[in-house]
Amino acid sequence: MKPIHLIFSLILSLLIAFAFNPIAWAFCGFYVSKADAKLYNNASQVVIARDGDRTILTMANDFQGDVKDFAIVVPVPTILKKDQVRIGDAKIIERLDAFSAPRLVEYFDSDPCAPQYVMESRMPSEAARSNTATDAQKSRRGNLGVTIEEKFTVGEYDILILSAKESGGLETWLIQNGYRLPAGASQVLQAYIRQNMKFFVAKVNLEELAKNETQFLRPLMMAFESRKFMLPIRLGMLNAKGDQDLLVYILTPKGQAEVSNYRMVSIPTDAEIPVFVKDEFAGFYKSMFQTAHRREDRRVAFLEYAWDMGSCDPCSAEPLSPEELTKAGVFWLNSPVSSPFNNSIRRSAVPSRGGVFITRIHIRYNRDKFPEDLMFQETSNQRQFQGRYIMRHAFKGEAKCEAGQAYRKSLPKRFEKEAQTLAQLTDWKISDIRRRLPVVEVQKNPIQQFWNNIWR
Amino acid sequence: MLDTISKDARNYQILSLFLFLVLGIGTRDWTLKPELIVVIFATCLSTQILMSWLVNINTLQTPLSKSIKNQIWKGLPSAVITALGLCLLLRAGSYSTMIMAGFGAIASKFIFRIGDKHWFNPANFGIIVALLFTPDAWVSPGQWGDEVWYALVFVALGGMVLKRVGRWDTTFAFFTSYAGLELIRNLYLGWSWDVLGHRLMSGSLLLFAMFMVTDPRSIPNARNARLIWAVAIACLTFILRNFFFMPEAVFYALFALSPLTIVLDYLYKAPRFTWFKVQMPKPVILS
Repeated sequence: MKPIHLIFSLILSLLIAFAFNPIAWAFCGFYVSKADAKLYNNASQVVIARDGDRTILTMANDFQGDVKDFAIVVPVPTILKKDQVRIGDAKIIERLDAFSAPRLVEYFDSDPCAPQYVMESRMPSEAARSNTATDAQKSRRGNLGVTIEEKFTVGEYDILILSAKESGGLETWLIQNGYRLPAGASQVLQAYIRQNMKFFVAKVNLEELAKNETQFLRPLMMAFESRKFMLPIRLGMLNAKGDQDLLVYILTPKGQAEVSNYRMVSIPTDAEIPVFVKDEFAGFYKSMFQTAHRREDRRVAFLEYAWDMGSCDPCSAEPLSPEELTKAGVFWLNSPVSSPFNNSIRRSAVPSRGGVFITRIHIRYNRDKFPEDLMFQETSNQRQFQGRYIMRHAFKGEAKCEAGQAYRKSLPKRFEKEAQTLAQLTDWKISDIRRRLPVVEVQKNPIQQFWNNIWR
Repeated sequence: MLDTISKDARNYQILSLFLFLVLGIGTRDWTLKPELIVVIFATCLSTQILMSWLVNINTLQTPLSKSIKNQIWKGLPSAVITALGLCLLLRAGSYSTMIMAGFGAIASKFIFRIGDKHWFNPANFGIIVALLFTPDAWVSPGQWGDEVWYALVFVALGGMVLKRVGRWDTTFAFFTSYAGLELIRNLYLGWSWDVLGHRLMSGSLLLFAMFMVTDPRSIPNARNARLIWAVAIACLTFILRNFFFMPEAVFYALFALSPLTIVLDYLYKAPRFTWFKVQMPKPVILS
């Protein structure tokens, strides 16, 4: 009996050790300027569709400068071949953003004298724009220890997949080839080289770009298989000034994804705020995010949305159609593979069939508070969460009955409460907020007095 | 009675874990539902009562005698510790998963045992059972964040309990060897010190080092054996985390190496641990 248990345990532990074979992956590089342009990359958007170890990653391109100056270096887990890289559709990222954006909802108070309910929702949003292309070859710059593993053109991008032996060589190679590296790059590159990562280097092919109807740089998508579920943010910190914003949309089959090496906090939600915010919701959200970020000592990731892709309530945009999801990288929708014990071998590389759960994580990071790359994990958490802010429009009609009068009287108190909530969330001055609250007119002789009944 | 309570180190442990639970629910953004806490406690306590009754009914013939009640009573604090541990660490979407984890945790104490000693940490066993055999369980390694203030609370309360249990050596061995490995990795990769700090200050790791890896009933008795055991767990944790990228590395490492306790106890004979400082009452000599 006992030896059997022992053997069982040992087998289990061996299974645990052998069920996984490690390959690594990563994203999120820094823009490298080829000329002396001043560059900022303050906000990036990434879509990660992941099931098991399989990942399709889309990087939105928010590059603002002259396209010929655009260049990007991204650490990736494996050597990517031409068919593993594609051009994505910026509209899909816009759609994901719109679908998952924090939303302002409004309710209209009904006539207190004749109750009924109406509801409506509205929201804000954000934004850029497919084909594939040419040759692959291997060459070697022996003395620098840099190997060009793959070289191809996809859409408007000329792409190189580099592997390197040491950072000095890679740095020199990049500089020789016209890439401008920020100070301190060598040390960070070294860490990625030693983690056995490859480098995805892209710049714009102006001829190819000219063939496009639009002059926007479109998102880049890459597909690979790796146990590592992370985003390398360290390179991107090198040429950033101050905080950087990163929006990660994670699409998974089972449930909510979370950051595993930093704390993840849900953004404040379901707050009733004054009606005037309607016209400045974007400003409100910015201030609120800033305040929440500061209160958490700038060291947490924020969950802005977690929902099953099949529905929304209220919808800030229509849920993405299966076609759109496929464009966003979701590859398991039509997968015939399904294992009855999906979870029994954790993170099996066999993709599961099923739904799509979206998690929107907003990370505002800087070098001091986020020293380590972001690691994620998929969980089976089905809790649905959304950043939702509520405006309740007061009933403006005449208060003809006693209930109406009582309602009117209750309004100033309610407005005050909303004002305080707003001040608490955003750190705006309460006096400024109060000034903008609606004025309620309470009738002088509001309620029927007892003598009115007899002394008409 | 009071004397017994203060002598039983488990009460300090219960107090500490309870405090962490309150702290976690109150100040962290946990998705822990109150009804799941109730389910965990109900499962752990009822399994404990049932199992110890079943075990004792075989050894002592008189059913529900005083000594059985005593035995059952004695096991309850351990069940509470396990329940608190599960509440702190395990997250699940359904009652059935929590019931399975709670039942597995407590039952493992009675099934995987040699003599008076079980070799799996019950809460850890429950977590692994839930992770492996249910579709909706997970752990959140980032749930405590990496703030110094929390780290100090964990270390202070952990130290208090460990002083009573006398297992600080295990925590020390685990933590220093893990930190050493992470330090080597950090130096090799050329990351700055704050990367190392961030990896080691994780509240979840500290909680594990203070409260889970030190459970005297499931770890080797002899000091040398414990040191070997703790270092082995640290190494496996390091490998699982950095080469297999498993967020739950510590739990799998402890689970996989728990059976080693038996081997080490066999190799290093040492007096068995009891929760009470006062051991067996001296036999009365009748003249």
